[in-house]
Order: sequence, then structure tokens, then C-alpha cells
Amino acid sequence: MTLIEVAVPASEARRARVEDAVIAQVATLRAADRADAAVIEPRSHMRLVLGLALAGAAAAAAIVVFVATRGEHEPGVVAQSSPSLVVTPVGGSSRFTVGDAVVDAGPDTSVEVRTDPGGAVTLALARGSVDCDVAPRGDRPPFRVIAGDVTVEVVGTRFTVARTPAVRVDVARGKVKVIGPTGTAFVAAGESWPVAVAEVPAPPPAPPSHPVPVAAPVHPAPSPQATFDEAQRLRATDPAKAERLYRALAADRGVWAALALYDLADMQAAARPDDALREVGDLMRRFPDAANIEDAAWLRIDILRKAGRRDQARRAAADYLRRFPSGTYIDQAARVAEP
Amino acid sequence: MALTIVDRPEPRSEQELVAACIAGDAAAQRALFRREYDRVHATVYRLLGSNRDCDDLVQETFVAAFRGLARFRGDAKLSTWIDRIAVRVVFAYIRARRGAPISLDVVGEVEAGGGPAEDRAQAREGLRRLYAALAELPAEARVAFALYAIDGRTVPEVAALIGTTVVTAKLRIWRARRRLHARVAHDPILGELVREVKS
Repeated sequence: MTLIEVAVPASEARRARVEDAVIAQVATLRAADRADAAVIEPRSHMRLVLGLALAGAAAAAAIVVFVATRGEHEPGVVAQSSPSLVVTPVGGSSRFTVGDAVVDAGPDTSVEVRTDPGGAVTLALARGSVDCDVAPRGDRPPFRVIAGDVTVEVVGTRFTVARTPAVRVDVARGKVKVIGPTGTAFVAAGESWPVAVAEVPAPPPAPPSHPVPVAAPVHPAPSPQATFDEAQRLRATDPAKAERLYRALAADRGVWAALALYDLADMQAAARPDDALREVGDLMRRFPDAANIEDAAWLRIDILRKAGRRDQARRAAADYLRRFPSGTYIDQAARVAEP
Repeated sequence: MALTIVDRPEPRSEQELVAACIAGDAAAQRALFRREYDRVHATVYRLLGSNRDCDDLVQETFVAAFRGLARFRGDAKLSTWIDRIAVRVVFAYIRARRGAPISLDVVGEVEAGGGPAEDRAQAREGLRRLYAALAELPAEARVAFALYAIDGRTVPEVAALIGTTVVTAKLRIWRARRRLHARVAHDPILGELVREVKS
């Protein structure tokens, strides 16, 4: 006997939508399982291809080692997905584009790229890591990364998925939805999944096995991206150094300065809200068209809210809702904006 | 010549359906989904009192079910096995959102009735307050109470779904009810809803 009556709204369209999503996800997970097996088995063959590639490009630091298209096109049959396999060597990396996404495959990575006829992109990560720079989806086809039994769906916009073999997701910008065996979570800019994952220490540099060469090696200045990555890595262990690196980037112009200002503010938000608000203000003033401007606007609201400045937070939230009526954080902003 | 389109026959027994799903037969998966969806959706909805994230959790439930179907040994009914997954998914969701404010705009509708508009509005407000009160309970008590009092499960069914003994399930329902009744003393609208709930 039901003691408290709650009518459950029925919607055929909703059921159909969920049904399609379930069937597609189950199929994709099965494909990922098969990819796992397919990638691991022919490894010796890939090594051979790797060796040839290295011989031809000894000076290259980043090499696409192996890209194989396995699409099957039969006459009279609509082309299904055309999976491609991207494998990088230990110490190498590869950048490729899929639709509107730019994907950086890290060292020792194996990832299968599938695009279905509707344009939906799925990366099945067998090992290693992928860093994805993806436009907010909105009306665009879905973009997801599957690593074992974890699925990462993009809301927008830049994130990293690593499988080593534990799966870890780091979001640099925007927001992603992570569907794992223990539940669904939204991971926003500056956050990681799983939350309590232990930092994996960087491997110590290998000792030189040969005498130092006569000519002193030339060390080019690190790229802004390398500096940014280093700063992100140091946030947990050496925040002062991370802050210095972020500031160096922020003094420059362009995308890395905007990202650095965001991270800087995010770092300072809890303990130094005034400093954090200054960095966010700097970001919004100097880079009004930056890709992370919406994230910055939400971060500002969040800092004000957590600092107990309710009126300011409410005004900032109202401003956010005006500027980004279809934004990623509209639900949270609407709650803050409520009188 | 007339052309007749016939549907592919669905597997006849539950065992055949499960076997076809495990083999990756999408038609069988859709058949199983359609057979179980209404109940799973209703349970998730009643546990949460809201449509927000409901579809995601139902999706997660079915994906987990299809992924784990090979481990289904038939000790319990398939529907019970899937409901257990749904309850686990909701548990995880509630725990992950502990402290998050309850959404005030999408709380469940009261059972359709022909009463005056103000009665319906009051009942809706009562539900909003009920789910706000439930959100303050420990996840275990909240889920046990909602399964029993809102989803209409018996105490032994609640125990089976949350994986405890009947005594523990009863205790959790009782604790939730006691906490709710403490609030009812100061909230007559909520009182209208939970007055009849006994365990």
C-alpha cells in the first residue's frame, strides 16, 4: 500500500530518449571492451611500425605512430563508424583533430576513435591519456571518452582522461559528466575525478647511462602549455612555485594567460578570496572573449558566495544569467540569484 | 503481392531474454528496457521527488544492469535484481550530493485528483516540504522510508532492496518517521502528508 501518493510523470519521448542512450552506451562499452582486446593483442606488430617511424624521424619529439582505419564500406550500405587506432610510443605524443575537437594523445597511449554517422565522437581509451579541447556541445553531436567502465561525456570544453590503469579525469575548463561504476558526477573546471585519487608522483629522471656529450645540450624555453601543465602539476605539492609559474603566464597575452588567471583565482579562492576576485576581474577585463570567460564568471559568483558576500554574489549571478542564458552553470547561478 | 512486415519475435522466456541481452542483441536489450523502465523510473522518481537527474540515474541503472547481466544468477526475480541496482545508484547519488540544496522547482506532483486548485497547491507544497525534510535524513533512512512510504514496498521488500534484514529496514523506516514527525509538530502542511505513515 502506498502511504504517500506521488504521481510519476510519464513521457514517451523521455522514455525513448533514455532507451536510445542506454542502448548506445552499452554498445559503445562493448566496443571499448573489444578495442581493449584488439589493442593489446597485436602489440608486437605496432612496435615494428614504431621502429620504422622512429628511424625516419629521429629528431621528432611527438610522433603519430600508428593510425589504422578499419572502416568497412560495402556497396549499398550506409557507412557505419570508421574506427581509427592511434598509438603513441613511450616518450612520444600525438595531436589529432576529430570534428571540432583537438586531441592530444600522451605517451604510451592507445586510443580508438569512432565517429558515427550522426557525428557523435567516441574515444575508447585502452591505455595512456588523452587531453581533449572540445567546444561546448550545445546542439553539437555528443563527444565522449570511454576508459574501461568509466564514460566521460563532454558538456564543454577542455579535459584530460588518463588510464594508467586507474582512470582519472582532470578538467581544465568547462564541465564534463563522468559515468562510472559507482555513479554519475559532474566535474567542473579545476576539479578531478575521482575526488580522492592520490597524486601519482612523476617518475624520477633516468640517470645518464653514458658520459655527457661534449656539446652542451640546448634547452629551449618551455612552451606556455608546458609551463601551464607544470603549474597545474605543482598546485598540490608546491603552490608557491605554481603561483609563480601562473603569474609568469598571466603577464603574457593569449589563451594561456587567460587559463593561468583562472587557475590562479581557483587556487586562491578558499584562503584568499580578495586576491582570487582580483585575478578573476583581471581575466574578465583583459580577455572578455576568452574560452573560459563563462567559467570565470561562475568562479566569481562561487568565490563571493563562499565568502558570505550574498548581495554581491546575487548580483554577479544575475549578471551571469543575463550574459549566458544557456550557460553551463545556469542552475547553480539561478539558485544564487534567488532573493 | 502484399508485403507484410513482421516484427522480429521477442525471446519468450526471461531466461532467453537475458541470454540474448548478454549476447549483445540490441532488440532484446530494448525489449528488456521497455519491460522494466516504468517501474525503475517510478522508483527513482519517488526516491528523489524530482525529475532533475532522474533520467541520468535511470540510464545509469540500466547500463549497469546490462553490463552486469552475465552475473545475474536468477536467485531473485530479474525485476528485483534491477531494482537493487537502481537503489544502489540512487544511494550513491544522494551521498555524492549530501549538503546540496534541494531543488524547489521540480518537486514531484501529487497524485492526480479532482480537488480544488488550492488543495492541489497545498498538497504540492506538502510534498516539497516532505522531500526537503527527507534530504536532511541519513541516506539509509531516507531511502528506506521513501521505498516504504512513497514507492509502496513492503518492509521485507525494502530489506531486500537495500540489502539488510527486515529488522534493520524497519528500524530505518521508524527513525525516518520519527524525525519527520518531529517536524510535523511545527508544520501542519507536512503533517497532512505523513500523519498516516506507520511502520
